Amino acid sequence: MADPKKARAPFAPWDRRELPGAFSVEESARRVGHYKWIEMKLFEALGGWVATVPELDVKMRLGTHCYHHAWHADLWHKRLPELREMNQDRLTVPPNEEMVAFVDALTEPEAPDTTIEKLVGVYRVLIPHMIAAYTYHLNNTSTITDAPTIRSLKFALQDEFEDWRDGEMLIQSLLETDAEVDRAAAHQARLEKLLLAAGGIAGPGTIGSSYATSREEVPA
Amino acid sequence: MRKIFPSDLLARDERFVRLSTEERFSDPRSPGSRSGGRGATRLTPARADAPDAARTLMHGIFMGEVQALEGAGRTCWDFDTGTGAQDAPFELKLDMARQCWDEARHTEISVKLMDWMGTELGEFSESTFLYEAACNPDPVLRLTGVNRALEGLAIDVFNTMKEFGDVAGDPVLEFCEDWMLADEVTHVKMGSDWLRRLTEHDKERRERALEFQRVVDKLFSLGGFRGEDEDSPVRLARRFRELAGFDTAEMDELAEISRQAKADAEAMRARLAAQTSN
Repeated sequence: MADPKKARAPFAPWDRRELPGAFSVEESARRVGHYKWIEMKLFEALGGWVATVPELDVKMRLGTHCYHHAWHADLWHKRLPELREMNQDRLTVPPNEEMVAFVDALTEPEAPDTTIEKLVGVYRVLIPHMIAAYTYHLNNTSTITDAPTIRSLKFALQDEFEDWRDGEMLIQSLLETDAEVDRAAAHQARLEKLLLAAGGIAGPGTIGSSYATSREEVPA
Repeated sequence: MRKIFPSDLLARDERFVRLSTEERFSDPRSPGSRSGGRGATRLTPARADAPDAARTLMHGIFMGEVQALEGAGRTCWDFDTGTGAQDAPFELKLDMARQCWDEARHTEISVKLMDWMGTELGEFSESTFLYEAACNPDPVLRLTGVNRALEGLAIDVFNTMKEFGDVAGDPVLEFCEDWMLADEVTHVKMGSDWLRRLTEHDKERRERALEFQRVVDKLFSLGGFRGEDEDSPVRLARRFRELAGFDTAEMDELAEISRQAKADAEAMRARLAAQTSN
């Protein structure tokens, strides 16, 4: 080992983290509040659906995934005060009325023969949008100042990817006829349009804008 | 999706057979049935019918896990999040979501164990009275009925099955029951903690919740099915209940409820036997 008194660089040569990030404290808190709101709506719906689906394998998966999203909601709940938001309820809100309409439509199916619709809403629409929003946040926030959010985003993303795969495989195993494929696609399109109107799970700018030509133009 | 989902709509595939509580209690094969039979006796490997009795109990455990999963899930959905009298606090819902995961795992374990023990899904009937306790519209009563009464029963059942696995020389059964028992202690403690927190300033509500628990406990004593007698099929697991927040007086009361239920069942069997012989 070299002389322990010899000066070393504070950041190792392989540590390329940077100070600047796209989000202010307030913007990060706003997004985190929306994340908590949608994770809550999702775990509540998954829990509620358990009793309504006749397929035992789906029933057990929904119960498992229910907890994943509750845990994410708790991660965001605990992050809010660290972002100077001491009243956690103030920011635990949907980004707009369109998002409420989306959640209403997502949670509408109840009948035992609508498992396809239930799964499509979660695993082909909502969770892909959550993965997109979390990835955008992860890739744009300051890797030094917002490290606690990054850590939670990575935990959440790991679950989201695995849950998405579980859900997608369940959907594929349930689709046996052309008519069922059409049903799935129609429900997906209906919900996708509602989420488009909401602008994503954190509202307009959820994943930035691909038409902005400079960093300054990227909506926070 | 509606709030409060009725038990008769619980979704099942074609293998499941559902019986009403009345039909179940009238079936002489049911422990503590009131239409005859030998009454409830302790499950030991020495019993001639031990394999069948263990399989019946295992299937009952499986159905209980499915309904516990459904009940915990409904508690996540049925109540608004908040601190009002009819609301469920955020942290309570988190606990219920955690319980969903645990019950989903228990369902998975039970399916594997049923296969291990030589029974299969749907071989025995299902009744929905466990889930019915999870339909109470007051979150405190629901949690007390489910997490203290029913999950408390689960502690007793898992401890009994664990002991049966031990004396029967079945390490797989013993291993699985021990893991599930650990989760159940957590669930009962959740119930004890939430009962205390949510009724701290409302003694009348606490008493209503405890009364609901007593009703559920009596119903689930099933004619002496669970008790402290040497021949009780399911023994009261005092040590684990204590870990979960039960005090001695509560456990003494539960033992008394079970003794009373057993006496009632024996009297009922004697009356039925007398009617039959006339």
